[in-house]
Amino acid sequence: MSEEKKKGGFFSAVKEFVYGVAAHDSARFALKSRASMEHLFILITMGDMLGVPILPPYYSLRLLPYVVPQISTWKRRMLKEKDLTDGLA
Amino acid sequence: MNSVVVLILGLVVAFIGYRFYAKHIDSKIIKSDPKRATPAKMYMDGVEFMPTSKNILFGYQFKSIAGAAPIIGPIIAIQWGWLPALIWILAGTFFIGWVQDYSSAMVAMRNDGASFGGLSHKLISPRARIILLAFIYFYLLLIAGAFGNVVVSTTIALKAAPMAWLFLTVGGILAGQMIYRWRKDIILTTVVTVIIAMAGIWFGTIAPSDSIIGADLANSRWVWAIAAFVFCYFAAVLPIWRFALPINYVASYIVFLGLFFGIIGIFILHPDFTLPAYTGFSIRIGPIWPIMFVTIACGAISGWHSIVSSSGTARQLENELDARPVGGGVMFVEMMLALFALVIAGTIYASSAEYGAAIAKGPGGIFAAGVSKFLGAIGMPAALGRSYGSVMMIVLAITIMQLVIRFMRVATSELLSDVSPVFRNPHVGTFIACILGMVLVLTGWWQYLWVLFGGANQLMASLALLLITAWLMSEGKSAAWAFYPMIFMFITTIAALLYTSYSLLQKVISGAVKGEALIGNTLMGLVGLFLVVAALILGAEGMKALRRYRAITKAQAAAAAKA
Repeated sequence: MSEEKKKGGFFSAVKEFVYGVAAHDSARFALKSRASMEHLFILITMGDMLGVPILPPYYSLRLLPYVVPQISTWKRRMLKEKDLTDGLA
Repeated sequence: MNSVVVLILGLVVAFIGYRFYAKHIDSKIIKSDPKRATPAKMYMDGVEFMPTSKNILFGYQFKSIAGAAPIIGPIIAIQWGWLPALIWILAGTFFIGWVQDYSSAMVAMRNDGASFGGLSHKLISPRARIILLAFIYFYLLLIAGAFGNVVVSTTIALKAAPMAWLFLTVGGILAGQMIYRWRKDIILTTVVTVIIAMAGIWFGTIAPSDSIIGADLANSRWVWAIAAFVFCYFAAVLPIWRFALPINYVASYIVFLGLFFGIIGIFILHPDFTLPAYTGFSIRIGPIWPIMFVTIACGAISGWHSIVSSSGTARQLENELDARPVGGGVMFVEMMLALFALVIAGTIYASSAEYGAAIAKGPGGIFAAGVSKFLGAIGMPAALGRSYGSVMMIVLAITIMQLVIRFMRVATSELLSDVSPVFRNPHVGTFIACILGMVLVLTGWWQYLWVLFGGANQLMASLALLLITAWLMSEGKSAAWAFYPMIFMFITTIAALLYTSYSLLQKVISGAVKGEALIGNTLMGLVGLFLVVAALILGAEGMKALRRYRAITKAQAAAAAKA
């Protein structure tokens, strides 16, 4: 995102600042909500990858190609240590 | 002294601090490297870890840290005189404030974006993590209490405020509906909803609360405390896009425009300070050291910032060089906000007696009177200006308050769900948080509550500085620039919390307080003592860790000398 925006002038910087003040948080929360839904979905279909005892159903195998691009970030987010402060910002 | 001189002094300090001190630390000690991959790039998941431009992050960090605290602190602290407050704001930001904000982001970035719980486990000890998290829960409770008090006292002191607050809520809910459900254009949504909020500010002046619900209800602390916590309850249990976020979105325009034109008003009017530069060492809420140093929290240094820097910003910085403008730079902007509040408190009243009468009703009225005066310089009528100032104060307090209640809910669920599954219910956690907050608001004297919040906040800052020092020593870097501020903050805040808790509990034991005040004093005193004990254990664990790192560094130096 940033390479081409960096070349912008003063007004683009102000625009980004206003976006940062007003809307960046909303965008992050929307993304977080979507991600948590997706992670839940991957957990119930592909949970065996993390050791959750789910018998892989036939449809999990059908879904696998679509899930592959997300597996590494999904695993990292699921296994990462979280605490209260993660929710605050 | 003239107010413009104060603002210029602030700009000079900010320039020297940012351009020279911060740059020196950034390039010579931390050695920021633009080529090093940041966690945002290494672990990009499009959600939490996401490379983001520094301009956006500057706005995000500013919005996240600039609540009511940098404004209220100086308004209360001017009771010791404006000079000590001015010196602490400037020196605190220069030597401690930006150090903490910037370094918290840097430590988290160099540790794969770990949050404070994980960092304290890794850098100090496993026990440190549990104590830190318990500490944070009570810290959040004090924020809810102190900011709830600001909302309540502002709505009582300024009768235009409730209507403006109601319109803002309606505008915010409409904004959420228009953006997320009706898929309307963002510019159209913004214009419509900001106009609704502005109309509320005007409507508040012609329909004050006492003319609608009667003087008794309009002056009742119970009514407004319930209103504030019901608001927070909805913010905590409803989907975040439906209530909390869109209200904050509309509110950010109100605050931003008010601050922008208010500062222009100061330059147009450039009034002189009318209150005394120094009044005395000890006043009703306590002695200047340590109490003033915790009364002005966010304008000089604040633990809240370290949480935003480490858990939020550090995961989005795309370049290590951006940590200085985003972490450090925003703190200097916050310092200017505190100076703005100091100018308001110090210049709008003709005498100390007038100020004394106003502060007894709470800081919201003073802030609104100041906003009214300085917006008056650009042509806004006084009544409308007061209404505008009151809604700004409410917005600044309640946006943080609702966030805090939301996370106390999460914390209750995490800490107590093993005890009984009922604590997993979001309504139960939110209800507990709201009730605890309300007890504090309704029973505690607001100035002591503010000092306790400031103490907890600054103590959080000293714990963040402890983590930073531990990290610097573990990396073999020079640590004195974080170590000495940490020692100063640690001793000052422990002293402030002990002093305040002693004052509160002494009144309980001697039987000087009864009824509501008895509950308030006992609760606040015990929370203060708990925070002190938690901080002392953390401090002891931290010192052990620092000694361990020092021994390792010495052993390495000796081995290198032998070789």
